[in-house]
Amino acid sequence: MPRRISWWVGGILMALLLLFTFSTLGAGRPFGASTYVPYFAGILFDLDPQKYPYLQEVHNAGAWEGVMLLGALVGGFFTSVFITKSFRFSIMPTGWKKYKNNSVMSRLVWSFISGFLLIIGARMAGGCTSGHFLSGMGQTAISSMIFGGVVLITLVVTGKLFYSKEALDD
Amino acid sequence: MIDRILGMFTTVSQEPHGSVWIVFLIGVAFGVIVQYSRVDKFEKIAGFAMLRDTVVPKMLFLAIGIASIALYFMVEAGYASFHPKPVMLGGLIIGGIIFGAAMAIFGKCPGTGPISIAEGRIDVMVGAVGGIFGGLVFTVYFDTFKKIIGESLGKPTLVSLFQGHETLVVLIFGIGLIIISIMIPLREELDNEDLKQLES
Repeated sequence: MPRRISWWVGGILMALLLLFTFSTLGAGRPFGASTYVPYFAGILFDLDPQKYPYLQEVHNAGAWEGVMLLGALVGGFFTSVFITKSFRFSIMPTGWKKYKNNSVMSRLVWSFISGFLLIIGARMAGGCTSGHFLSGMGQTAISSMIFGGVVLITLVVTGKLFYSKEALDD
Repeated sequence: MIDRILGMFTTVSQEPHGSVWIVFLIGVAFGVIVQYSRVDKFEKIAGFAMLRDTVVPKMLFLAIGIASIALYFMVEAGYASFHPKPVMLGGLIIGGIIFGAAMAIFGKCPGTGPISIAEGRIDVMVGAVGGIFGGLVFTVYFDTFKKIIGESLGKPTLVSLFQGHETLVVLIFGIGLIIISIMIPLREELDNEDLKQLES
């Protein structure tokens, strides 16, 4: 069995999954993957939905994505162990070592900060790569095109500023 | 807390958006596709930010191109419906800037992050803890965030804006994106640690 699929096989499969999710045979709703985070935060910190209106707003979508996410963890785990053979415990991405630095502390602090901001940004915009890019632009939504354009530009500008231009020698 | 976790399954089973098993299997398929195409990797997402890897934009644009055309005809035939998100300029622009910068540094997005954790990435786990705190802060200070996000300017789509020419507009949009996905030159930033593991 091949260890990976090419970008176009991945793209076609992702389109089919998206269409199945939208269809009345599947879930009859868009595909999304960032609403589960405040939903889980509400559960973990035992926040009362009566006091926090946002929790009421994400109650149904958060639960849907929570169940979907459990599936994604299972699917990702088995694929990494048996197909891509890429499962291993690691704390430092190879690319970080190559284009940023060798410090585990730096990677972990930046992970925490960027993980925090990622969710703030996604919830402000009302979606992420899944909800806006895939589902939103798949519906030709103007909101998602605005988000998509802003994200692509910021992503590339940040990439230019944050990482070194040449691979660092180790 | 256990009650509320179990409540998650009850909520899904009571909603008309697929049985718990269907939703779970949609997740499994998502995990397999993302993992199998390797787009959960730091080298793919941060690599795209550095313009050293183009698998993510190629795959994304191809998927959107195909899905936009097929979804339009599915909606016409009554097998699906549109649920576009509202235009709220503050949220989309400021949220988009924060999201894009964070995605470049983290090398993950909210959907690919958990799949990376399933692959054993501990740094992503730390980022997920940060994400949970992000969700907490957003929930607690929702009133303040709502002011930055701004008013909804409606939920326009290309289909709703070009009434009378919907089919043509959707075909141009979809085929255009498919052509872009093919035209973006393929560049790949491979992870030697992964390759080593395959050899052994």
